Amino acid sequence: MGFRMNLRNFLVIFFAGLMLNACATVKKDSMLQGDVYTGSDTIEYLASGVKDRVFFATNKSTLTTASRDTLRAQAAWMRGKGKKLSFTIEGHADERGTREYNLALGERRANSVKDYLMTYGISGSRLSVISYGKERPVNSGSNPLAWSQNRRSVTVKAN
Amino acid sequence: MRKIILLIFYLFILINPAKALVEVDITRGNLDPLPIAVSPLYIESGSIDIKTEQEIIKNVGERISEVIEVNFKRSGLFNPLKKDSFVQKPDIAHVKPRFEDWRLIKAQALVTGKVKVSEDKLRVEFRLWDTVAAKEMIALAFSTTPKNWRRVAHIISDKVYQRLTGEKGYFDTRIIYVSETGLKTQRFKKLAIMDQDGANVKYLTLGNELVLTPRFSPKNQLVTYLSYFRNLPRVYLLDIETGVQEVVGDFPGMTFAPRFSPDGKKIIMSFAQDGNSDIYTMNLETRVVERITDHTSIDTSPSYSPDGKYICFNSDRSGLQQIYVMRSDGSNVKRITFGKGLYGTPVWSPRGDLIAFTKVHKGKFYIGVMRADGSGERLLTENFYQEAPSWSPNGRVLIFYRETKTDEKGEGFSAKLWSIDLTGYNERLIETETDGSDPSWSSLLSK
Amino acid sequence: MTKSIFLSLAFHTTMIILTALSLPFMLRAPLDLPPILSVELIQITDETSVPYAAKAAKTLEKIKKEEEEKRVVSEQAPPAEKKKEKPDRIPLPEDLNKEKKQIVKKKQNPKEIKEQIRQSSEFEKKELFDPDQIAALIDKSKEDTAETLKKNKKLTQSSVKTSFANALTLSQEDALKAQIFGCWSLPLGLPYQKNLLVRIKLRLRPDGTVLRSEILDHARMNQPGQGFYKVLAESALRAIRICQPLRVPPTGYEKWKDLQLNFDANEMLKG
Repeated sequence: MGFRMNLRNFLVIFFAGLMLNACATVKKDSMLQGDVYTGSDTIEYLASGVKDRVFFATNKSTLTTASRDTLRAQAAWMRGKGKKLSFTIEGHADERGTREYNLALGERRANSVKDYLMTYGISGSRLSVISYGKERPVNSGSNPLAWSQNRRSVTVKAN
Repeated sequence: MRKIILLIFYLFILINPAKALVEVDITRGNLDPLPIAVSPLYIESGSIDIKTEQEIIKNVGERISEVIEVNFKRSGLFNPLKKDSFVQKPDIAHVKPRFEDWRLIKAQALVTGKVKVSEDKLRVEFRLWDTVAAKEMIALAFSTTPKNWRRVAHIISDKVYQRLTGEKGYFDTRIIYVSETGLKTQRFKKLAIMDQDGANVKYLTLGNELVLTPRFSPKNQLVTYLSYFRNLPRVYLLDIETGVQEVVGDFPGMTFAPRFSPDGKKIIMSFAQDGNSDIYTMNLETRVVERITDHTSIDTSPSYSPDGKYICFNSDRSGLQQIYVMRSDGSNVKRITFGKGLYGTPVWSPRGDLIAFTKVHKGKFYIGVMRADGSGERLLTENFYQEAPSWSPNGRVLIFYRETKTDEKGEGFSAKLWSIDLTGYNERLIETETDGSDPSWSSLLSK
Repeated sequence: MTKSIFLSLAFHTTMIILTALSLPFMLRAPLDLPPILSVELIQITDETSVPYAAKAAKTLEKIKKEEEEKRVVSEQAPPAEKKKEKPDRIPLPEDLNKEKKQIVKKKQNPKEIKEQIRQSSEFEKKELFDPDQIAALIDKSKEDTAETLKKNKKLTQSSVKTSFANALTLSQEDALKAQIFGCWSLPLGLPYQKNLLVRIKLRLRPDGTVLRSEILDHARMNQPGQGFYKVLAESALRAIRICQPLRVPPTGYEKWKDLQLNFDANEMLKG
């Protein structure tokens, strides 16, 4: 109908879009996506650029995209500079569950990691698995952030 | 002829006037604990002091009565009256109690006794009296070694409890638990065992490796638990008397969540491999291992029914943790929890009627009981974090543990043992020297 | 173009205003219903009265009709007459009619009676009236079945179950109950959902002390699996003993000297 109409519509849509984006940005800053920790605290490095751990959602053992990136980097290093080493994959759970189930859940998480590394050519004989359930939290707090940091699987050099 | 009979009939009525029997229904009473007086036991002349490792006991008669009083008080069912109101002396009270004196202080029952201590023998005689009916209810005598004086007090407590409530007691029992110290991120854990009233604490492991979830065998001599010895989490067997430990089975992966079968012959546990946890049993005599569940879900926390025919366990095969019941050969698996939230740590009551469990819903933890078919769910207590109930041998009391929230600095963490009565009353903190978790109740030590 | 915008705005605004204004009208204030109070129709007499005369007369009249040919010794009133002799229990003729009416009402609505009784804890006794049998004056407690008593043609055991209004007034029964409620220490270890009823028959002295006590269902005391019954019975006996002297009416000893107390722990434990 006219340039003005179009301009007005465009402006409305544009600003609405900006507002929505702002919301999305706020979420990212809180270091939790869904229920999975995405921050950088507590992370140690096996080698330069190779993170030693991945994180999980409550009651879940599935790998997020970020986790897969981390594990691919681990696998690459294990095939390369780390090819003489063996590793222990630790599985952990947060404190918001019963003790025995958490032991099993930790084991499941560690095995998710081991399976993924094996698909990238790392021999199973180099990877042993241990679950600590909720026994070894890395953050002693009682809040969602602490719990998300504790829901992890850590790859540790065995020798 | 008939007329005569009828005449007699009606004369009968004449002779026996209708009697009035008034009936009154009494449907209320008071739920106060029964007031009971425990007189100190009288010490016979010629008795010597008892020497133990910790102390020299001069008045074991009084000490025995104190242990009995503590048992009664903690059960929530009895109210032991204060000794300074007792009129009669222990020696006379045991022979011929003046019931009016005891009724005056409102005692409805009275425990009296006498003790004779010699070098290697302790002889205890006790009587339970009904002060209201003015008659004797129990009269028993025991003889044992002097250092077992506490057990005598517990056995007397059990006898009185049974006589006055109709249920078997639970005082002559022990509790095994995990003693915890240190930072929350690096807890130092040891197996500990104590009398159910907290006395006689003994540590069974040194704390060099992580130990978890200890359980008594029904014979009370053996204990099974999870140990991270050499960084390999496995189920172990420990003989309390000899201290000998051995690994249960030869599994190529983590075994955990162990319990004994009711006849003490098998250990049932979970075995985790390749991300899957299933339930297995091992016969302790034949060493034969049997697989009970075969499912890609996590199956854990198995517990036998007291007749050994069924097993209740925790599985997430429906997506989230729920409780299932199956026959002890693994067949006929049935889900029994359908409420909102997660259910875990199922444990079958020794009476066979109920299953206790932990429930997690909307960020809160509950200890509850339900019937073996899942009906009649009753939540007994709610807390920020609590789990793993264990039954007293009479199926009346549950012991479990609680952990506290830490503050913003991550401090203030503690883990403590608690107990609660089946009715939801008498929630009680159990004092332990250190923090404690994973408690498990033994069966009665005296059979 | 501006014109159309204007019109559109105007229409939109009007619609919005209309909706905003009309909606409140459409919303009706919720009816303020008064809470439903359960009203119990308890028949309370001003004074303790025994309308046996009325009942007995009715029953026996009926039987008289049935057995016309036989000459029945009309001593039908003996029980009633005896009662009549008691000075302060004689109902006046007008009262008698009133009683009759009330009783008849009760009879016609047995169900109602039951409900009333349940609602008020004091008014427990049901008056069951079986006009077909001479054994109409039967003790009907909760446990005893009518059948067994019907079989008993002899009236020797003609203990009459009296309703409260017959032997003790409401306030008297209340007082007695309150007294015993206070004395009874319920054993807390009782199992749920079992039969937790203990009936104790007492023979009282005029001052309210107990001369004799007898536990009905005595056989249950030693049955296996019923260990709790013994405990329950003992607690009831203890309650009675502690409570002596019982709060009995000052007069009318003959009426309440045989007292049966039905201790039922189920209500307290269910809650």
